[in-house]
Amino acid sequence: MTRWIACAFALGILHIAVLPALALADVPVHLRVIKGSKKGPAKLDASLEPLKRQLSSLAYVRWELTSDDRRTMEKGKVETVKLPDGDEVMLAIAEEQVDKVTFEVTVASRKTQSKLTVERGQRIVHQVSGEKNGSAFFLTVIAWPDAAK
Amino acid sequence: MRTCVRFAPMIGSKECELPEDEARALAAHLGACPRCRAIARDLAATEGLLGNALMARANSRDFAPFVDQVMARVGARPRPAFEQVRRRPSLLAFLRGHGRLTAVAAAAVVGLLAAVSAFLYVHRSAERPEELAALEVDLEGGNIVLQTSDGPVVLIEPDDETGG
Amino acid sequence: MNFRFRQPVPSEDDDDLALVKRARDGEVDAFRALVVRHQRKVYAVALGIVRDADLAWDVAQEVFVRVHRGLDGFKGESSFFTWLFRITSHVAIDSVRKERTHQRDEVDEVREIDMEEAGEGILSTGLGSDPSDTLLRRELADKMEAALATLPEKHRTILVLREVEGLSYEELAERLGIHKGTVMSRLFHARRKMQAALRPYAEIEPARFSGGTEVASKVEGEG
Repeated sequence: MTRWIACAFALGILHIAVLPALALADVPVHLRVIKGSKKGPAKLDASLEPLKRQLSSLAYVRWELTSDDRRTMEKGKVETVKLPDGDEVMLAIAEEQVDKVTFEVTVASRKTQSKLTVERGQRIVHQVSGEKNGSAFFLTVIAWPDAAK
Repeated sequence: MRTCVRFAPMIGSKECELPEDEARALAAHLGACPRCRAIARDLAATEGLLGNALMARANSRDFAPFVDQVMARVGARPRPAFEQVRRRPSLLAFLRGHGRLTAVAAAAVVGLLAAVSAFLYVHRSAERPEELAALEVDLEGGNIVLQTSDGPVVLIEPDDETGG
Repeated sequence: MNFRFRQPVPSEDDDDLALVKRARDGEVDAFRALVVRHQRKVYAVALGIVRDADLAWDVAQEVFVRVHRGLDGFKGESSFFTWLFRITSHVAIDSVRKERTHQRDEVDEVREIDMEEAGEGILSTGLGSDPSDTLLRRELADKMEAALATLPEKHRTILVLREVEGLSYEELAERLGIHKGTVMSRLFHARRKMQAALRPYAEIEPARFSGGTEVASKVEGEG
């Protein structure tokens, strides 16, 4: 027990008085909402080129950017992304390490929540609406976008 | 200065890496020694930078050929991405172990696979295999998660009422 | 509201072990997934130790070849991650072993003369204490690789293992085959050299790094 108290004491001084910079930095994120359609002609916005390998796995052939936003996220704070159909997607950081981050993506209207871990350079593509008339909306999340270029 | 020689190497230690008496003595020394506090501040100021810098370099490099080169060296031929779509063996093991549920579970699996098929575009991988990220499909729960080397792709359950 | 909580990527370690088991059973795609999952970090650790991007690529490849060769012998007594990076550091150090033979005069113990050059606090003064000031930190982050390259192999290795792989003192002692006290003093020297290599970047244009009045006034006073 005394060992733990000593550790806590030492760490308390280190962290409070000496090492304020130890906290993990905020995570810059690039958030985009894209619309995928099964009806052609096939098209991919040039800005979505880095997502091509993930998107080309899906049945949708026409991809259009509908919103584009860059934000800085911090653990525990929820970011809300508005969808064109009026729904909202909530995004939060569940865990953060030097080279990877775990996001919670909540699609309230669908009552689903996913926990997804990505390393630097990886991207999340998350369907956020049901399919209507052959089209659906997707949220793409890139953490540390400068490193993912 | 003589005590600094003793304590300076301890600066930067993580939780409980030091014996309790050493940790206590270090804390006391830091409280009294501006030089060692400056060392600690410098250390804190650059915390994480090295890891970030090296990972940034790794992330800026195109790793597309890496895994195929490794697989070639270990004697395994790279396979077209679509062929890599497979269920996790644990699901089969579960079904085998629960005979009475097998029919229901099998129906569920078939339904989910049908959903996967509905979502996946069947590529002729020979035509452009380099454009597909390696896939692994996670069938747990209602959503479908495609684990690709570029990151996860999540598809939500088809909406019954939309007919989509 | 009853959300269904899903975790498509469960515990990374459990996931690794499951993939190892499948790879051991001959499932090629399982091994492939292990490579994809860890390739960049293995490369980053190798790059930190060997300094050369192409050599780091070769080292990383060799690491996974050895992992594949050793799958049957991996008993899971340590995590796959620990095993993988133990191989990584051994292969990387081996590849620059020639460099090591020229460094026998590098002492590990901390002497009083070492303290005279330490503790100037220039980096922290220049960078400030706000870790969220990412622009300023990024300026210095760009210089980290060049600064690391100026260090001798044993200092590069211990810094990379500590700060990229995150090894504890005990793990470093075991991995490097040295005493814990030597680990601590070697780390001290490595950090001191790293900070010395970074210091010119923090001093050349203090105003760019400062973001505050303390350094700005110091520059004026010196001018």
